Amino acid sequence: MDRPLMWGQRLRSAGSAVLELPFAYAGLLILLFTSYLVRPALLSPLLLLLIVRQAAPLGIAVIGQSLCMRVLSLDLSIGGVIVGVSYILTSGLLPLSEPVLLLICLVFGASVGLINAFFITRLRASSVIVTLAMTMIISGVAISFSQLRSPGDAPALLRQIGQLRIGVFPVALLVWLSLLVPAAIFLRVSVFGRYVDAIGANPQAAWVSGIPYVRVVTIVHVLSSLFAVFSGFLLIGFVGVGSMDLGRDLALNSLAAVILGGVTFGSGKGGVLGPTVAALMLTFSFNLLTSLGLGEPAKLMLQGAIIGLAAAAYSARRQS
Amino acid sequence: MVSFERLTKRFGMNVALSDVSLDCVAGSVHAITGENGAGKSTLMNLLAGVHRPDEGQIRLRGEVAWLDSPHHAQRSGISTIFQELTLLPNLTVAENLFLGREPLRHGIVDRSTMRAKAEVALARLGGRIGVDDYCEELSVADQQLVEIAKGISADADVFIFDEPTAALNAPEVEKLGELISSLKSEGKLIFYVSHRLDEIFKFCDRVSVLKDGLHVATRAARDLTHDELISLMVGRVLTQFYPVRKPPQQSSRAALDVSSLIPMEGGPPVSFAVRRGEILGLSGLEGQGQRDIIRALAGLQPAVQGQVTKSSVAEGSTQPLDLTVVATALAGVGFVPEDRKTEGLYLSLSISENIVLGMLRRSSVWQRAKVRTDLIAGLMERMRIRATSAKQLVGMLSGGNQQKVMIGRWLASGVDVLLLEEPTRGVDIGAKAEIYALLRDFADQGGAVLLISSELQEVLGLCDRILVVRRGAIVAELDGAAASEEEVMRFALTGPPSSDRSPNGNVHA
Amino acid sequence: MLNRLRKTGRSGMKATTLALPLALFLVVGFLSTSFLSFQNLANINSQIAGLLIVSLGQMIVAISGGIDLSVGSVMSLTSAMLVTLDPQLAIPAVLAAGVAVGLINGFGVTLFNVHPLVMSLATMTFLQGLALLIHPVPGGLVPEYLRTLAVSQVGGIPCAFFWCVTALAVTAAMLNLTRFGLRIFAIGANPMSAARNGVSVTLHRIACYVLCSISAVLAGIFLTARVAGGDATIGASYTLDSVTAIALGGVQLAGGAGSVAGVVAGVLTLGFMTNGMNLVGISPFLRTAATGCLLLLAIGLQRRKVIGA
Repeated sequence: MDRPLMWGQRLRSAGSAVLELPFAYAGLLILLFTSYLVRPALLSPLLLLLIVRQAAPLGIAVIGQSLCMRVLSLDLSIGGVIVGVSYILTSGLLPLSEPVLLLICLVFGASVGLINAFFITRLRASSVIVTLAMTMIISGVAISFSQLRSPGDAPALLRQIGQLRIGVFPVALLVWLSLLVPAAIFLRVSVFGRYVDAIGANPQAAWVSGIPYVRVVTIVHVLSSLFAVFSGFLLIGFVGVGSMDLGRDLALNSLAAVILGGVTFGSGKGGVLGPTVAALMLTFSFNLLTSLGLGEPAKLMLQGAIIGLAAAAYSARRQS
Repeated sequence: MVSFERLTKRFGMNVALSDVSLDCVAGSVHAITGENGAGKSTLMNLLAGVHRPDEGQIRLRGEVAWLDSPHHAQRSGISTIFQELTLLPNLTVAENLFLGREPLRHGIVDRSTMRAKAEVALARLGGRIGVDDYCEELSVADQQLVEIAKGISADADVFIFDEPTAALNAPEVEKLGELISSLKSEGKLIFYVSHRLDEIFKFCDRVSVLKDGLHVATRAARDLTHDELISLMVGRVLTQFYPVRKPPQQSSRAALDVSSLIPMEGGPPVSFAVRRGEILGLSGLEGQGQRDIIRALAGLQPAVQGQVTKSSVAEGSTQPLDLTVVATALAGVGFVPEDRKTEGLYLSLSISENIVLGMLRRSSVWQRAKVRTDLIAGLMERMRIRATSAKQLVGMLSGGNQQKVMIGRWLASGVDVLLLEEPTRGVDIGAKAEIYALLRDFADQGGAVLLISSELQEVLGLCDRILVVRRGAIVAELDGAAASEEEVMRFALTGPPSSDRSPNGNVHA
Repeated sequence: MLNRLRKTGRSGMKATTLALPLALFLVVGFLSTSFLSFQNLANINSQIAGLLIVSLGQMIVAISGGIDLSVGSVMSLTSAMLVTLDPQLAIPAVLAAGVAVGLINGFGVTLFNVHPLVMSLATMTFLQGLALLIHPVPGGLVPEYLRTLAVSQVGGIPCAFFWCVTALAVTAAMLNLTRFGLRIFAIGANPMSAARNGVSVTLHRIACYVLCSISAVLAGIFLTARVAGGDATIGASYTLDSVTAIALGGVQLAGGAGSVAGVVAGVLTLGFMTNGMNLVGISPFLRTAATGCLLLLAIGLQRRKVIGA
């Protein structure tokens, strides 16, 4: 029983486990440290909670996006869905009560997901192209409608969700958690989660061995669009009005967060926690950049750099 | 012509070849054989320039040759016809022949020279292949001819054939044999890497056996018997290669009753039954529709017509079988595809994860996934799946073990009918025997097995009943124990007998 | 692929490829009297020249099996650089930038094995940010010699026509007459087989991305000169438009099939539709929606065997 050797081995395996963690964890720590150095004001608990609240829409969208990536698909129609939801809820085009409108938004989201899934599973089209095309269609239609009948105020219920707190915790955060935790548990224990793993590992084999490929991928896309609807609800609640500019960069941000969080095409190694931490990290970084005076261009450059470098780093890691 | 001198090649920790030396002369056909993992492909890949040796060297016509790349090997006069053909479907025959060394005139690709030279090379092969045909339109046999034409047009002296007959039917195999002997008479050296022992004895002059990376022996083909060769390869004498068959039981119930099945549009209807306790083989020449039939039963043919009913193991009624992938799997019909790497297994998942996916077959998508590690361990034990643990990634296993995991996945899900395409493709001799034993066991316990195999010996040795398929129709039903190779080939080549009475009784299966 | 190959080689064109622009031509001509005027047709030519040039680049990448979503941002970056840099340096600088972007995309896809969609999405985002950083507000002065290159007329025919013809001729020659052209078809169909035949897959793929970025730079130069000002978002719609155009033109996004003629047909389809919508007075936002529908249509008609991204 060589004690030092055993401890050495344990440390080594713990060390490599830490190194195996998705970049999001390290990234968040680096950011917090940098903020401590240059903008310590950002680290006040009140502000941090606000940032967490701000991250909620991204965090919710990330759940759906990570699911999509695990079945070798992408959902870039998140932005379109949010624009559509924004218009439905605030334009008054449909003079119905708030709860009914919210329900209609969910149905709308589910339909978008179904259409996406149809093209991707039945026609075997590229998910990027299909979802981008859907965004073009929905945004195009919604914005052209908005020229005739402009969007208005957000429904009262959403504004409350967006701004209220329970104790110190923003309600938005609770909404996020109430979607995140059940999703994570469900994926881990259910048959559905296993099927998702299988399809990601080898979609052809999954198809041939009788796994209900079409059903699983359809559910994934419908869920992703539904999560996008919830993101939209929160965003509209934050802003207070139905803006046609909402959620524009949510699709790309969710992609960046998912990749940073360790989930790549076909593999779900990061689980749901990695992308969630990455969502927090990205939101924090945007705030840091803004507080340093750098605006939209810097955000875009950061997003692009993160996606590219993280994807490259993960590929390099997988090859070694 | 070619000498391998003390070649050693390692891939990480795995020693693929160890101190292998071999001399081969021009104007001969030299077989390289051995179990999977013995090193045959590695040895040929060294010659083909795909890998470089760690130690030792290769001599070509007496001179030491450093073959850095496949391209370099080609230019040195070595032409390789790989198992995975390297033709591009969207290029014409002429373009394929010259890809990588296209002739130029004034900086532009010289298409007329290309076509002229291609015609010369193709004429030698007696082909009716046009130089402007796109390779996607050609049959596998024709594609192989084009690959050979590539070597001829490049004036190769050495030809390497790696499992060339995997996708060929009997007449095409004969033609290949004639081609090989014509190349031999021109003084070329031909390497023939194959598992098909009968072809080795038919076409080759000398046979070299590799085992575990070592060169075991080289003999003249006429000095060896079938059994001697097997024992050289395996290192032990295999007495009971095929498991014992039970005598035919006409009274056993049908597990699958197929009635007027038309797997593809415009094809003839087939009707037959797969009985409980039997192993039924679909035989005949390659590509005569066996694949379509079995894939139709698995639910993978979209345009299928016809009725299939399935009985359950317990004494119960028969149910009509919905011929879609999901429904057949749910009903207890397991399909083992030919290409396990792309269609069968999840190479990046562990053995346990692969098997669990089979166990979940009956659960609904929303339920909790139950992982029975004890059942998995028991299954691995029973099937003799050799791995470091159940957590090992399937991609790391040998061909035989991978095949067993695929079959095991279905067994774990409790299927009672197995449909198999080429059950022992790419599997070494030892694992083959184990898989045969597994299938026999499955049948003896009340299961039903339907398989297609292009290895006639396998079908004759393993199956209780054989259905010979020609042009999509069943032309003969033979008793497995009594049938002979000639009989099967006769029906496969010429169709149903002219009179209604065949030696084995009726034709309706 | 089989039936298509039998009829038209590797062009990927089908009956619908040519029928669509023709049908649009007839429909719009019927709906609007000014459609068929020489002035309007010349307008269309100028409008689609930029799209044509960038779509040819996109076609090259697609044939080799990839895709480049950063073309729009490269155009935007070009526009921003042209009006902010010293006129002497402007052209060499944007060309160098194009080569650099192509190299980055190429290295990412080949050496780092990043999926082309993800890689080009990353560069697209980064470059858009860079363009906005350099030139936040549209405006600025375009060098005079550039203006003349893009806007003048030769014998009554607008310059745009000659830009188009040159681009088409060069690309067609490269695709059909050179070794490079043949080899990228091979790579697109099966990279491993191509490699076994001695084709350097990595180098060819990187070259395709470089050529695509350069074509985006050229399109950006043309557009900036035509608009007579720098706009850091000028290329935004061109990314998906170029993918739509090549998909409509029969270019297989999976690789291995495509043709210059097909791209022309696809670009004409989009051009007729846009022009027609303008003439009839439909909102430009609906044009975006219509392009999205066309894209779905084009994608729906391409059947892939592979499931996945």
